[in-house]
Amino acid sequence: MGLGRAFRRDRNRPGLVTVEATLTACDVRVDLGGQAVLRGVGLTAGPGEIVAVIGENGAGKSTLLRCLAGLEIPADGRVLVLGEPPADTAGFWREVALAGDEPAWYPGLSVREHLEMVATLHGGGRMDTGTALAAFDLDRRADLHPLTLSTGQRQRVSLAATLVRPSRLLLLDEPERGLDAAFRDRLADLLREYATRGGAVVMATHDLALAEACGARLVRLEAAR
Amino acid sequence: MRRWQDRYTTLFGVAMALAVLGRPIASVLENLVHPADPRQVGAGLALVTVAYAGYLAVVRAAGPVVLGAADASWRLLSPLSRRTVLGGTARTLLVISILGGLVLGTTLVAVLGAPDLLPLRLAAALVIGLGAGLGGMAMGVLGQAFPTWDAWLQALIALTVAVAVLMAVSGPGPGRVAAALPAGVVGAVACCTAAVAAFLVRRAWTALDRVPARAILAASARSGRVAQATVTLDPGALTWSVEDNHWRGRALRSRRWPVPGAWALAWQEARRAGRRPVRLAVLAGAAALPALAVTAGLSQVAVALTAMGTLAAAVSVTSGARRDGDNPALLRALAVGPRTALAVRALPPALFGACWLGAALAGLSVSGALGTGTWWPLLGPACGPVLAVAALRMARRRPIDRSMPVIDTPGGAIPTGPLLWGLTGVDLALPGCAPALLALAVRPADPLPFLVAQTLTGLALLGGYVALSAGGSRRRPTRNGRAPAAGSSSPNRRP
Repeated sequence: MGLGRAFRRDRNRPGLVTVEATLTACDVRVDLGGQAVLRGVGLTAGPGEIVAVIGENGAGKSTLLRCLAGLEIPADGRVLVLGEPPADTAGFWREVALAGDEPAWYPGLSVREHLEMVATLHGGGRMDTGTALAAFDLDRRADLHPLTLSTGQRQRVSLAATLVRPSRLLLLDEPERGLDAAFRDRLADLLREYATRGGAVVMATHDLALAEACGARLVRLEAAR
Repeated sequence: MRRWQDRYTTLFGVAMALAVLGRPIASVLENLVHPADPRQVGAGLALVTVAYAGYLAVVRAAGPVVLGAADASWRLLSPLSRRTVLGGTARTLLVISILGGLVLGTTLVAVLGAPDLLPLRLAAALVIGLGAGLGGMAMGVLGQAFPTWDAWLQALIALTVAVAVLMAVSGPGPGRVAAALPAGVVGAVACCTAAVAAFLVRRAWTALDRVPARAILAASARSGRVAQATVTLDPGALTWSVEDNHWRGRALRSRRWPVPGAWALAWQEARRAGRRPVRLAVLAGAAALPALAVTAGLSQVAVALTAMGTLAAAVSVTSGARRDGDNPALLRALAVGPRTALAVRALPPALFGACWLGAALAGLSVSGALGTGTWWPLLGPACGPVLAVAALRMARRRPIDRSMPVIDTPGGAIPTGPLLWGLTGVDLALPGCAPALLALAVRPADPLPFLVAQTLTGLALLGGYVALSAGGSRRRPTRNGRAPAAGSSSPNRRP
């Protein structure tokens, strides 16, 4: 299934077609509690690109992802996602998928029903729910409530809910959390496939092997002083 | 070692309790010498039986053998005798069951009356109450130690509920029989109850040494959460803990969503409610309690039961709104606008609240409490939108704000944080239901204007609530403020 990239015709030069960046962040500064967490951070990601943000604890990786998701207001700088400033609205979340801390699962619904609900509310998924369950090795746990699963399995459900739905930008905060080594390789394949189909991925990670397996461009964050 | 101050405090407490409760108890005893109305006796006995079923259910849910965090961590898993470790808990359970039994016995004699031989009938009722309280608690302890006894306890709870239903639907017959029982028969029943209770208490005391540590640890963790929720004044945390414990480890039969788009959010509540059939049945059966209370001559209790039951029914299907209020991550993954989500989520509480209130009003109408007219149940659907607003407000309220000031009044200090928390939801339900309350007060011959006014008020309130409160929690301002256009094309969308 081929998927097109986002193209834009330059009005000043009619013959030229340029690839529109999915995400642009320039000179972002964030202060928390009077301390600078991010200072002068810039980042771009285009369709089909995977960017891995790495850095020591406290470097501001999660804060940067929150800025890109519109959940944190930068004190200074500019963030554009799909050509617009990010905002916590339904329209934004139809195009952007975020996997961070574990979500609160709805009571009374199985793993399969959670995934099907995500696909139903998006008017259809990127992949069939059964395929997603098999891809995330959850098919034998499909009829259990997510709280019955282990930490790593719940992380797989969380990632499956992020990847089963259509989106143009994937924001992942430490996706490797709780996952075993074998599944990290499979996750790399899934992310590469997502990018191949035109999506952009920005992930904060401590796992360089995962970033390498994805073929990600590395962006190192230094702790702001 | 107890000091003289401890003994003084105990004695002073007992003296104060006697001084405060002495006159009401004497007044109750004076009223017992009249023979009771058989209709009221039947309904009263049904209510007492429901209350006893509730007592047994609470005993089973609580454990009942629990320990504090320190004892559970250190003493329970030590070589100490289990009975030594659990001695304090056993004494507490004994006191609780004696107090519960005394309340049960007093209520029983108040319901049955004492046309003759008051001291004997009173003593017999108290013995029956104490026997039921102690026996029920002993069965709880035995159920914690042995699965067979737990099954017996569950059967007893089911039987008690069934007896209550039978008494409620049988009219004045059982009441007439119970009120006319000779004192000798009542005494014999009391003796049998005491014998059975003594047997059960003895078995429970023996079994105390064999209650598995895992059962005590699980019950202690539950009670610890209850204590923490009480201390931190966060009842929401407790209800989530109970809800999550229920679903953890359960296999569910996954089904496809039969409705498209955002309607799935409403269907989720229906699916969850359908997967807890016992709770649904209890909720449905509770709609008969207001009529039962009226028949037993307890009009004020009926009003309170109607109000609480209606709100409980509406709130019971707001788990999704509560979840998203606590943690909106899943709602973001679903990409539903907060206004759409809130509007769809108003549907289940509106339907449940309307059905429960309609059924309760139908029962009250049949029992003759509302006068003539068969249209009273229609007030239920008319109040549905207001009930949805109240339930959603209750579901989305923040934890109790303990930084709010405490107001000193001549009647005592009033903490405004818990007060405001408790009033959230009710604050809109009361004015929103004003036309219905007015109709109940004036009992009009033509109900149509009241029904129309109630429906319009409810719809206006719901519309205003959804429009005004949907954006607040999720939308955060960005520096440049502009949101992206909705519905733009998505290359990863499945064709």
